[in-house]
Amino acid sequence: MIAILGLLLGVAVGIWLSPTLPAVLQPYLPIMIVAAMDALFGATRAYLDHTFSDKVFVVSFISNVTIAALIVWIGDQIGVGSQLSTAVIVVLGIRIFTNAAAIRRKVIHA
Amino acid sequence: MQAPDASMDLLRQLREEAVDPDYARAASDGRATRNPGAMSAIALVIAGALFATALVSTTRSKPLVTSERAQLMGYIREAEARQDQLRTDQAALRAQVDTIQKQALGGSASLPALSTTVAIASGAVPVTGPGVVIVVDDAAASASVDGRVLDQDLAQLVNGLWAAGAEAVAVNGHRITTRTAIREAGSAITVDYRSLDRPYRVEAIGDPRKLPADFTATTGGSWWAYLNRNYGLAFDLQTSDALTLPADPGLGLTVATRAR
Repeated sequence: MIAILGLLLGVAVGIWLSPTLPAVLQPYLPIMIVAAMDALFGATRAYLDHTFSDKVFVVSFISNVTIAALIVWIGDQIGVGSQLSTAVIVVLGIRIFTNAAAIRRKVIHA
Repeated sequence: MQAPDASMDLLRQLREEAVDPDYARAASDGRATRNPGAMSAIALVIAGALFATALVSTTRSKPLVTSERAQLMGYIREAEARQDQLRTDQAALRAQVDTIQKQALGGSASLPALSTTVAIASGAVPVTGPGVVIVVDDAAASASVDGRVLDQDLAQLVNGLWAAGAEAVAVNGHRITTRTAIREAGSAITVDYRSLDRPYRVEAIGDPRKLPADFTATTGGSWWAYLNRNYGLAFDLQTSDALTLPADPGLGLTVATRAR
């Protein structure tokens, strides 16, 4: 419950304040969101498995988002930014799909 | 010994460790909180804010792009209208110059006639007369470059008409002179730096009985017969009793001496 409320509050704050991200961070926002989604889906699955841990979630969330942005940033510096962002999205995408499928099986048993 | 699917290890690992293994470790250590607490809530607020920020910035930039495009199109239309206006002005001034020139040459008997001949040949004055109208177009239902009329196809066509004895040629109402370029800019053909719309209508003044046959014998004629047969480009030749071709407004005066 607190999780959904927090997420909704975040969306509301984001729309209401519509903060302008510094231009340096702008290109990394999408990849950060994909990383955040990965952490969210992982956490949901862990929650349904009754193994959820507050600390693990927060650490995985922050590290996921930071590392994803960092990898793409390094890629941009050495000229393979778009390729590396594809790599990050493929890897995180596979994880998101796997977790989403597991969540679906747990929730609706199908 | 290596596992048979060793090369697929990354994908397997991805699927098996889709959930951070730390969750299981924390659970076995008894550190699992089972339910999200305050720290998680803060992280989730950040996640929501990230998502909303991206959403807002994407939706905000979209109308900006379209309005910029509309603005650019407006500029282009404005510039084109201005160019048209200038061309009209130039034609009027040109006519004025012609009148004055004729007056200045009034004393001589042969010079006005010579001046007219030169003016017709150079495209400085509008001309009327019988001739042929050739309409060419891209091949029907062909999206590839092969089925499109290119600048050099049009140039071949015009050169063929000159070779066949045409006295004046215009493409889509733009008079072709020695100083008119038929070129390609982007995917559009330009004549005299004005882009053309399909279909391309080439008008040529000349003997309507001889021009079609003579054109067939030229390089341009065989070029277009080949395009028509092999690529399906539309080619339609018709004779006309009265054609009116405009003057070329791009014909600037570069050398002039004062009449005495």
